[in-house]
Amino acid sequence: MRRNINPDLPIHIILIILIILTFYPFIFTVITSFKSSPQFTHNFWGITYPLHLSNYKDAWSRIRRYILNSIIVTIASVVGVLTIASISAFIFARFKFPGREFLFLCILSLLMIPGILTLVPAFLLVKSLGLLNTRWALILPYISGGQIFAMFILRSFLASLPEELFEATRVDGASTIQSFIYLAIPLSKPILVTIAIMNILGTWNDYVWPLVTLPDGKLWTITVGIVSFSNQYLGLEMWGPMFAGYVIASIPLIVLFFFTMRYFIAGLASGALKI
Amino acid sequence: MDIKAVFKKIAKKKQYYFLLLPTFVLLITFNYYPAFSALYHSLFEWNGVNLSKFIGLKNFVEMMRDPTIRISLGNVARLTTTNLLINLTFPLFAAELIYHLKNSKFAYSYRVLCVIPMVVPAMVIIMIWRFIYNPTRGLLNQLFKVAGLGYLARPWLGDFDLALYAVIFVGFPWISGFSTLIYLAGLQNIPVSITEAATIDGTTAITRFLKIELPLITAQIKLIVILTLIGAIQGFVNIMVMTNGGPGEATMVPGLHLYRNAMYYNRMGYACAIGTAIFIVILILTYLNLRYLKSSVEYEGG
Repeated sequence: MRRNINPDLPIHIILIILIILTFYPFIFTVITSFKSSPQFTHNFWGITYPLHLSNYKDAWSRIRRYILNSIIVTIASVVGVLTIASISAFIFARFKFPGREFLFLCILSLLMIPGILTLVPAFLLVKSLGLLNTRWALILPYISGGQIFAMFILRSFLASLPEELFEATRVDGASTIQSFIYLAIPLSKPILVTIAIMNILGTWNDYVWPLVTLPDGKLWTITVGIVSFSNQYLGLEMWGPMFAGYVIASIPLIVLFFFTMRYFIAGLASGALKI
Repeated sequence: MDIKAVFKKIAKKKQYYFLLLPTFVLLITFNYYPAFSALYHSLFEWNGVNLSKFIGLKNFVEMMRDPTIRISLGNVARLTTTNLLINLTFPLFAAELIYHLKNSKFAYSYRVLCVIPMVVPAMVIIMIWRFIYNPTRGLLNQLFKVAGLGYLARPWLGDFDLALYAVIFVGFPWISGFSTLIYLAGLQNIPVSITEAATIDGTTAITRFLKIELPLITAQIKLIVILTLIGAIQGFVNIMVMTNGGPGEATMVPGLHLYRNAMYYNRMGYACAIGTAIFIVILILTYLNLRYLKSSVEYEGG
């Protein structure tokens, strides 16, 4: 037997091939984002010099507005989801009152409703409320829909905490609100971060809803904006700025990911999503 | 029961209801009302403005005759089955490979690498793939040219027979993202005592996979099946921006048909009927999945 060969070697080889196949389109995107049109035509595959940083300037001037819109809408929605969902989850988890189980079941039943069913009436509702072409058309439904799953996860976590903890704060004279702010919230921080990340991804990636509720285009989020500027650049065959736009559009979430990576992976792995 | 006593009890706890108010005001407005409105208006000829006429099941009868629906159903059936096959194989394979690495540092690195593409906006990935399929400048046709296989080059998204499969192929090799992480989490939850016992018994990798690992991650498989079904049956964004249902109606799906009826033709009632039908199909499939896919063997007392 040869002992020197690492038994993991074949696994590494297969995984590395899979990773390269997965990442190649992104690498190609970054390389192309620095090319001028002639560079793109003459050297399709390789890295070319000089790097055309002006592509980024061009793309930035077109998508800046969409990124800003996305950031505003995302922050507002996530703050709303976390606030409302944590209060309600806390009430459902730690207090007894008539109709508690029934009301919670009503909320859970909404997890079964697919977005496509509610699309048309929700659009007409937002229209009749006069919210078309305002950020509220996105923020309010995002908070409303986002809180469902958030409550589902948070309630089971808060319900699993030992009653002695809450008993102790009550003995110390803490009110319901104080035990919420000083006990429940700090303990659920990792779950709150996971919920926040999932909501940010959902909001950032939504396409159809902003497309239909923001017909005049000024408040479009980046996901809608990407399609619009891609089509402009496609017509002009301006590949460099197009790919530069893709890179810029990806940066905010990638930055967020590097700051919250542990929560992100741990949250998914914790089995919170097990049915 | 004494109703007065119940009211008294409710009044005593009124602060709880008060604190739940924001949740329910939002849910009733933006979730319950639209859902019921959709089910209700599926029985109406409705343009959302001034026309709202009860027509019974006529929308559903029309759906059965609608040639676009027939094409859409074939396409969505193909999309759903291929998506299921993909999500049950490639990510599971990747998760198995990562799980069996002896070195946990490498395992963690691979896991991180699998997560990174998840944070690239989904639309950026769709747009990159749209470029990959571009007939004149696209990466795929350039690749064939370089490899001397230029005769294989074609307008992938404009080809009647291939467009749907080109859409399905987006994201190859499908190992990054949610499914891989879920499978991996399931595998890593398997108690070491079980896997060690198998190793001592000299179980082969295949037997170990089929007899130990697979039964213990059924919960994860169920979850992936449900999420894939729900996503594939109602999804249409990728099709809308890559082919817009074309060429002709070769890549038409029910979701896109619903969208067009609502947004282009103002046929809100018919759109609601399509939505209702999709909802019912999802309900049935979810039920069947929960009912007939056997649950994981419990190994930790819950």
